[in-house]
Amino acid sequence: MLDVASYALLLFALGAYVLLDGYDLGIGVLSLFDRSDQRRKEYSELIATAWDANESWLILAGVVLWAGLPGVYATVLSGVYLPLIVMLLAIVLRGTAIELQSAAPGYRRGWGLVFGLSSLVVTVCQGLVIGAVLSGLPHRGGVFSGNTWDWLTPYSVLCALGLVAVYLLAGAAWLQDKTTGTAHGRAGRLGRPLVLAVAVAGLVLGFGLSSADPQHLRFDQPLRTALFGLAVAVAVVCAAIAWYGFGRRPDWRPFAAVAGAEAAGLLALVAATAPVVVPPDLTVHTAAGPHGSQLFLLIGVGGCMPVVLAYNIYAWWVFRGKFAQPPALPDAAGPSDTAAAAERSAPVAPPASDGPWAVVVARRVLLTLLAVAVAAVSQDVFGGVGVWIDRVGVALFAVTALAVWIRSDHRSSAAGAFDLQAAER
Amino acid sequence: MASPAVVDISRWQFAITAIFHMSFPALTVGLSLFLAVMYTVHLRTGNPLYLQIFRFWKKIFAVGFGLGVVAGTVMTFEFGLNWGRYAHAVGPILGVTIGMEVITAFFLEAGFIGIMLYGDGRVRPRTMAFSCWMLVVGTLLSTTWILSANSWMQDPTGFTEVDGQFRASNWWHVLFNPAFSYRYPHMLLAVLISAAWFIGGIAAWYLVKQRALPFARRTLSIALGVLAVLMPVQLYVGDATAAFMGAHQPAKLEAFEGNWKTDNNGYNLIVVPDTDKGENRFQVGIPHLGAVIGKDLSGKAHVPGLLQTPKDERPDMWAPFYGFRAMYFTALAMFGMAFAGVVLRWRGRLFTARRFHRLMIWMAPAGVVAISGGWITAETGRQPWVVHGLIRTGDAVSHLSVGAALAGLIGFVAVYALLLGLWIRYIVRTVRTGPEHLVTDAATADHPTEISHA
Repeated sequence: MLDVASYALLLFALGAYVLLDGYDLGIGVLSLFDRSDQRRKEYSELIATAWDANESWLILAGVVLWAGLPGVYATVLSGVYLPLIVMLLAIVLRGTAIELQSAAPGYRRGWGLVFGLSSLVVTVCQGLVIGAVLSGLPHRGGVFSGNTWDWLTPYSVLCALGLVAVYLLAGAAWLQDKTTGTAHGRAGRLGRPLVLAVAVAGLVLGFGLSSADPQHLRFDQPLRTALFGLAVAVAVVCAAIAWYGFGRRPDWRPFAAVAGAEAAGLLALVAATAPVVVPPDLTVHTAAGPHGSQLFLLIGVGGCMPVVLAYNIYAWWVFRGKFAQPPALPDAAGPSDTAAAAERSAPVAPPASDGPWAVVVARRVLLTLLAVAVAAVSQDVFGGVGVWIDRVGVALFAVTALAVWIRSDHRSSAAGAFDLQAAER
Repeated sequence: MASPAVVDISRWQFAITAIFHMSFPALTVGLSLFLAVMYTVHLRTGNPLYLQIFRFWKKIFAVGFGLGVVAGTVMTFEFGLNWGRYAHAVGPILGVTIGMEVITAFFLEAGFIGIMLYGDGRVRPRTMAFSCWMLVVGTLLSTTWILSANSWMQDPTGFTEVDGQFRASNWWHVLFNPAFSYRYPHMLLAVLISAAWFIGGIAAWYLVKQRALPFARRTLSIALGVLAVLMPVQLYVGDATAAFMGAHQPAKLEAFEGNWKTDNNGYNLIVVPDTDKGENRFQVGIPHLGAVIGKDLSGKAHVPGLLQTPKDERPDMWAPFYGFRAMYFTALAMFGMAFAGVVLRWRGRLFTARRFHRLMIWMAPAGVVAISGGWITAETGRQPWVVHGLIRTGDAVSHLSVGAALAGLIGFVAVYALLLGLWIRYIVRTVRTGPEHLVTDAATADHPTEISHA
């Protein structure tokens, strides 16, 4: 029973990922087709607040898979090695592009291009992975035993195309929800063709699965058939709502419909294949980890999940509504070196007189010896003599350093060393 | 069995990706705490200087954190990609530990970093401060879980083995294993210290250039204050960690002390080991110091040598020895600088000592270097085991072709080299641009929140 719960947790994380990172990957791909630099920058800004949280669901799906179903983790990850490596590299480049773009003062066309292309690569690789997993991977003793290019099949390529369509649809729906003006209009017009594309992809992939999948789908159990039918019906209804909602108010409706359709699609897939996770014969039961780990995982992750959802929703709520350029912060009046001249005259403690050179040398030698002694005490060298010596010594040094820090900070502060206003005037 | 080439390629790939990833949290964990403190102080005092510090360091933190996140995503999947057998064997234990890290730490960080980075002016200052502190909690939790997971690999406890898979028999012993209680404080201090050097080094650059002086003085003072307090503690904790690991993994200590026969009471500075013959071709050391560090003040005790360990359980001496030297010598330099900082402070010269400031600039990456050296020692010194005493690294890899593994390695090297260059360039540019001016004629210190909303 626990293994089924782990599988459900995995599906939840995966579903959340496909929905959430799906829209920001989709926006990334869409940004490739927008010629306006200003809007491209806007697309990147739009997801800068959320991409990290969205991507966390992928990591969660990965580790739940590892902890809950180690057999699947070990088989799938090494079985689809190349697409996953390329996906990870693209994720790395994409995150870098978003952060550097957002840190840059203006729009950087290079980063925009890296952002868009890496979004596309991530999507395609994920589609290849899904396709490869659905068409089965050979394994032995809990690990993959096939060949390097086993993942490349016609079905996995079709899956990649299908996933691009799904993410584009989610991206367009999100854009309609979050933007105004031209971007909003474009999203509304793009939506319906994308709904159509996703519907076609769903049909092709759904019927293709029975030929790609080495194990036969079993629709002889009534419960399974009923669930599958229900899920497909929900997906169709949601797709219809999305079709209707694009280009119409309220702006949130297409995204909600897309979310429903994705969840229903995932449910339909599971209803058709469970308990098999990786065809032909890797099931939830054979791949599951031991009872104790599942329990710990479910209590730990499941217990934290409401909190996680709560603050994720809170973070979404903070940036709710239409995207707006962040409020202007006080002008950065350029580099601050103009203040240097004024600061040179800022009051600091006058240099102490050094005295004759012999005194200076003697003082430095003594200080060096003292430093070596302090280092030796900190290194627990005298622990051989008395266990307490070094501990007390270290505590003494730390307290002394703290006292000197506080004392000198007070003095510097009184002398105006930290006075920003005096320095900038 | 996998081919030795795949094992070597996978090890290089993991080493490169792990060190690259580690260099970001090494800075951002401490920086998140620094930022939270700065913002809170600004909130409480209304002093615009702290807002200036916060805004400046936030720029570097944002990119560093983002790079750390994506590089960390790679790590999560690498266990299964290249180390499928290992992943299958330890998944029930380490998968759960890292799963807890994801759910408690990653989501917390990811949920609040958006607010912290982009919320300035959109949310109330109190919410900003709260988000900063949540981020600190997230980074600290992350450090905790990952150290717990790695320490279990160093000194596994609380498990049983069933059909080649490890199961927890006692979760408490798994999570809070003995190695964790030494290595966690050591690492926690290390990340705080390395962030402090980074902050202090950049502050010193401004002092040398005589720019943004209040900013530079304030951050230099904080950084050196933290360092002066933590460095002695870190040396002490580090020594305890080394002693613990030496007792639990004798081969590691033998390798990083650089001796083959147990006949040397000195401390080796340079060795050129000959692994096949089991001796050093060349070595330079300080006599008696090895014994003294080992708590024998008479200087006679011999440091154990690697020949005590059976040949098929010996780590390669090169990496642990020089990894340890990189950490230890940097640590001594850091200690010396922190000590000098206290003396200068005492004499009221901290902000005028030009030579000291120039040296401080060179110390900016010292913490990252030391952390990398320490991890190289910890991980290579554990070889040939991946989980000490239980799984050999050679038995842990996935079923991969050499070509695929090599392609992955080349991809990571190329992308990471590029990113490292970009990251350094970004830091240099941000520092050159300098902190922004905050005090205008319109705003006064009495209305700090007006400044952030203006």
